[in-house]
Amino acid sequence: MLKKRKDTEDGNASGSSFAENSYAPGSKSGSADEKTIIGEQISIEGTICGKENLLIEGSMKGKIELEEHQVIVGSKGKVEAEIHAKDVTISGRMTGNIQALGKVEITRAAEFNGEVKARRISVEDGAYIKAVIELDRDDQKKPSSVGKPDLQVASSGSNQEPIALSGGGADKGK
Amino acid sequence: MPRHAEPLRSPFHRDPPDAKAYTSRILPLFVEYLDDHPQGKLLDVGPVCGENIRFFASRVAKLYVCDLFQRLCQETRQGRSASHIWRDLNYPVGSFEAVQLWDLGDHLEDRDFTRLVELCVLMLKPKGMLMLIAMGEQADSTFSSSLAIGEAFRLHVRAQPDLDLPRHHRHNRELIAMLSPFKLIKSFIYRSGLREFLFQHP
Repeated sequence: MLKKRKDTEDGNASGSSFAENSYAPGSKSGSADEKTIIGEQISIEGTICGKENLLIEGSMKGKIELEEHQVIVGSKGKVEAEIHAKDVTISGRMTGNIQALGKVEITRAAEFNGEVKARRISVEDGAYIKAVIELDRDDQKKPSSVGKPDLQVASSGSNQEPIALSGGGADKGK
Repeated sequence: MPRHAEPLRSPFHRDPPDAKAYTSRILPLFVEYLDDHPQGKLLDVGPVCGENIRFFASRVAKLYVCDLFQRLCQETRQGRSASHIWRDLNYPVGSFEAVQLWDLGDHLEDRDFTRLVELCVLMLKPKGMLMLIAMGEQADSTFSSSLAIGEAFRLHVRAQPDLDLPRHHRHNRELIAMLSPFKLIKSFIYRSGLREFLFQHP
């Protein structure tokens, strides 16, 4: 069933507990704290576009265009789609491509197969992923501490100093 | 390849609370190669680790993540052979500038490890780099660990009890022989017995 609700304070998407208010077709949308829910028993095929957040706990196949809003594939959701959104959270099963202007979150319960283009990404241990990930590199600033090794501050006091087994004179391999 | 003959730790660096961390010597070399190929493609075979995804995705044009640890675990639990996981490595020949295997080899039988090496030969571009880690004999032999990249190339060994994969210990000679299609660029052994290898596609 399609339902509409106001988010809880923390904005968590926990699924069926959201089924409080009926979906009101034709009502003016766009309120940032509202979301539409595609319930567990619903299957949709086609294109979804609009101006509010979306939580999918059912099945969806097609295209989702909510460029200024959040799409959540809940833990029971099964999605085979192309998603264009601001932020995307995957906790269920998703196959397809995600293009996010903001952040993509993949939680430990997720099973994701596809491509992600986003500004930022977070992935929890335990998630299953087969993905191609492209981050917006204009926004990327490599932390200096993980860039080139700082040989000037090197010391030999570490008790974990490894022993070189081999190599040292090889080409860079360009 | 330039040599980084000295340890990489800053004198101001403090260890995080978990003691199971070490400063990798091979990772900086691997990263240096990636930084020289900013339009490159890297394959990371898992286990999925948010820190590593963020770290590598900021360095290459495209990061391919294919969690073979999870897949191997699923196949093993279903009583199937590890050979089923290779269908996930269905990438075209010469797809990648680099492949990060972590310690996947420790969880494979010889036959499967050999197959993995063959696939890496196919997937890597000429002169592409392959990084491999082999844990020491003291490592937990019943489940896998991820190696999360931290500051200054510290690798934090994070247990993944959900990945109950038996570990096989191999000696250096065995490992190098199994990776013989590749050229060994550099390798290190640590006091814990952990070993790091950097190989290059011929």
